[in-house]
Amino acid sequence: MRTLLAVLGLAIAAALLIDMVMLATGMRASFRSLLTSRGYELRVTPRGTLPFDTEATVGSASALVASLRAHPDIERVSPSLGSTVQVQRVDRARSAFVLGTQPDLQGEYTVINGRAPLGTDTLLREVIVNAVFLTALDATLGDTITITTGRSAQLRIAGTPTRVVIVGEGRFLYVPPGLPALSAPLAAVQGFLGDAGRDRISLAMASVRADTTSATANAARTEAVRVWIEQTHARVTAISTETAIVQVEERLAYFRQLAFILGALSLVIGVLLVTTLVSLSVNERLGELAVLRAIGVPRSGVLQQIMLEGFMLGMAGIIIGLGLGLVTAQWLNAILRDFPGLPADLDFFVWSAEAAWKSLAMLLVASTVAGALPAWRASQMRVAQALREEAIG
Amino acid sequence: MSATPLLEAFEVTRRYRTGENDVHALRGVSLTINRGEFVAIVGASGSGKSTLLHLLGAVDTPDSGRVVFEGRDISTLTDADATRLRLLRVGLVFQRFYLMPTLSALENVSLPMAEAGLGKVDRRARATALLSFVGLGERTSHRPTQLSGGEQQRVAVARALANEPALLLADEPTGELDAATGAALIALLQQLNADGLTCVLVTHDAALARSARRVITMRDGRIVSDEPSTPLVA
Amino acid sequence: MSRPGFPKVSLRRAVVASLIGGVLLLSVSSVGHAQRLRDTVIGTPTAPLVPGRAASAIRELAIDERIASDYGVSVGDTLRLSAEAGTVGEPVIVGAVVRRAADPSEVARSEFRVRLHLDHLQRLIDSDDRVDRFAVAVRPEAGAAGVDSLLARINHVAFGFRAHASADVAVESSRTFQVVDRFHRAIGGITIVASAIFLLCILLLKVEERRRAIAALRLAGLSRRTVALSVIAEAAVVAVVGSVIGAGLGWVVTLAVNAYYQRVFRTPLTFAMLTPRIALFAVTLSLVLGIGAGALAAWRLVRTRPLVLLGR
Repeated sequence: MRTLLAVLGLAIAAALLIDMVMLATGMRASFRSLLTSRGYELRVTPRGTLPFDTEATVGSASALVASLRAHPDIERVSPSLGSTVQVQRVDRARSAFVLGTQPDLQGEYTVINGRAPLGTDTLLREVIVNAVFLTALDATLGDTITITTGRSAQLRIAGTPTRVVIVGEGRFLYVPPGLPALSAPLAAVQGFLGDAGRDRISLAMASVRADTTSATANAARTEAVRVWIEQTHARVTAISTETAIVQVEERLAYFRQLAFILGALSLVIGVLLVTTLVSLSVNERLGELAVLRAIGVPRSGVLQQIMLEGFMLGMAGIIIGLGLGLVTAQWLNAILRDFPGLPADLDFFVWSAEAAWKSLAMLLVASTVAGALPAWRASQMRVAQALREEAIG
Repeated sequence: MSATPLLEAFEVTRRYRTGENDVHALRGVSLTINRGEFVAIVGASGSGKSTLLHLLGAVDTPDSGRVVFEGRDISTLTDADATRLRLLRVGLVFQRFYLMPTLSALENVSLPMAEAGLGKVDRRARATALLSFVGLGERTSHRPTQLSGGEQQRVAVARALANEPALLLADEPTGELDAATGAALIALLQQLNADGLTCVLVTHDAALARSARRVITMRDGRIVSDEPSTPLVA
Repeated sequence: MSRPGFPKVSLRRAVVASLIGGVLLLSVSSVGHAQRLRDTVIGTPTAPLVPGRAASAIRELAIDERIASDYGVSVGDTLRLSAEAGTVGEPVIVGAVVRRAADPSEVARSEFRVRLHLDHLQRLIDSDDRVDRFAVAVRPEAGAAGVDSLLARINHVAFGFRAHASADVAVESSRTFQVVDRFHRAIGGITIVASAIFLLCILLLKVEERRRAIAALRLAGLSRRTVALSVIAEAAVVAVVGSVIGAGLGWVVTLAVNAYYQRVFRTPLTFAMLTPRIALFAVTLSLVLGIGAGALAAWRLVRTRPLVLLGR
């Protein structure tokens, strides 16, 4: 029973350690994956802002995009414009986020059903929406909805309503959970927004030419392009994937620090448990150990035997803890994914085999070493005295 | 010494299962111990002497047969009744003292009195008297770790006498003591017996057994002899 | 409506909201951090903020502490202000330095913030006579019923806007900390389960260490009840003493946590707080766990025959 409890305690310590390691490394890995999933290394935004962090936009966007596309190291540029609109279908009305993109270049969504909206003119006809949008308006593919933007307080009317058809359902990669979103061709959204959108963009994603043989060279090229963009265009900020990751990590630094503290605590608890259990086990078996010494087993042999106990305890706990940790990680991740303003696809707990094995190895070593003190004491006992005290009566 | 039986055993047997083997610790043992006797049960290791002591003290129950203590069959008592019996009528002394290490000598001796419901003042007075009786009047506040082996065993004897038992059972009480200390302990038991306490001593040491007035020899779970003790020739 | 992509707040909305009445409406009550948030003017203005000056005069603005400390700006300095990056902008004078309120939704955000007069900002961003929201203070004697009535009347005639009670806004705005709160509760649940198991394990081990002595006491006549109660009592005392020490340690840690994060995030927000209620909860829970663990350890001990405990 006590061994079972100790193993269970170690399993919980191991599970907590695994979870904290996943938390510490997960955000960065998940965000990097999110940012690079569509192959764009740079994001160009209004000066001093993060993508869609504010309502700021960049004017003379077509000139900016043309300039970027002319750079020899930039392979492709995907401009986009975001805004808030009012959508209505039958008797349901909601605010929604509209994203204007160039469908053939965009890296903002993936099509799940139907197709991406078509059109190169400024008339808004077709949209692709996310699942939240469909649920909020009780709509399906093929439905017609009404979109409006802008209001005139004096005239007490909304802006000109426009009827559009839902042609596709997409998974919007950077939209927070619970936010209805739709996308249409950039030119159509710019035209729809009128003066607020004319030749303006919120973001341009740029893909830098990659030399497949050297990651270092690629990174250097990306940085060079980034610097060129900022030097050439004073109105914008160019953010690399690494910079974006660092900035998001800064905002979520609390979780990394919490992960570190709880992870350290897990190690301490694990060591404490193993030390206590091994000590008790040694105390109970002093007679046996004395007999072993009496028949010629060296001190090192006794030491090894006892430390092996700590190792086995740790191993058993780790195996159970691994499964337990993965289950609790899913639960904790589901809680944190509800964070407002973060992309729905961002995970906080991400499995990293290297990090996990390293931390579990640390726990295993710690639990083995935890048995060292009682093992050392046992190996140092005076054999005759122990035999006298512990002999079975 | 009175001829009134205090303790009687009728054809008691006791069997243990160890692994895949059955060990017949007692094979139909019968005996009578009268009030005021000092009996030694002697035998080699595995002869069944400790098992017999446990049955006599209601620590264990026989597989067959009966044990009668003060006219009462104690072989079928519930655990609660057996515990109560040991608390009030039987004192037990073991080879390995088994004192509570975090309590003082006085507190160790007081424990059974508290269980019996004796008041705090009375407990303290009686425990102090008992410790003085066993020669530890100056060491009442010492913890077991601060006492020698012989002193610890004396505390254990005082604890066994806490509730004025009718019977004192001692299982190898000198096993952890040197010869001189052991002899002093035996002398204490002899004094208690002289004061009227019925004592049963279990030992493997035949010489030690002769300090009692009656020696029961056991072998292979049976009594092979039961005769008055022959004092050692000085 | 907030936009996707990154954690953010609308700069424009924040500036406008702070102009109207100068009182922030965010009250983060649902996660136990109820406090009225109010930015504090800490810099001494050389001249008071005067709204409605002629457009040709140099206008004033208030800056936050971060700008003042990061860029060495102080009251009376002249800055250039524009709505578009890369343009020259107009001169403005720093009229005051403001310390931001302890707003949980703004922790870890390194952005800067300024305050302008409403007409100044409207002109700057070509916004005409538009605002993002109004803050409405209701007379105290109106009470909660009065607020509800007013909300209903406004929303009945509203077109293109909607009125909300401050508390509702705060609840929505405090979603960040609601998530953090749920996360903390989850971690707390895990650590409580882990602590219960650790306590049980340690207690079982410690009780087993004394099983021979306890067996001797049982043989000496102590009842199962007495033995069990003593084990439970000891476990309860250990648990309570441990939790009191732990609460003290926790209090010290909260001081360190607050000092550290207030410095790192440059906010007066309290991050960790040990209230009497929390301390009482911790001690009570420890007591319950201790008694439970002690009961289980005692049960295992007393159900075993004394001779078996002695190893015979």
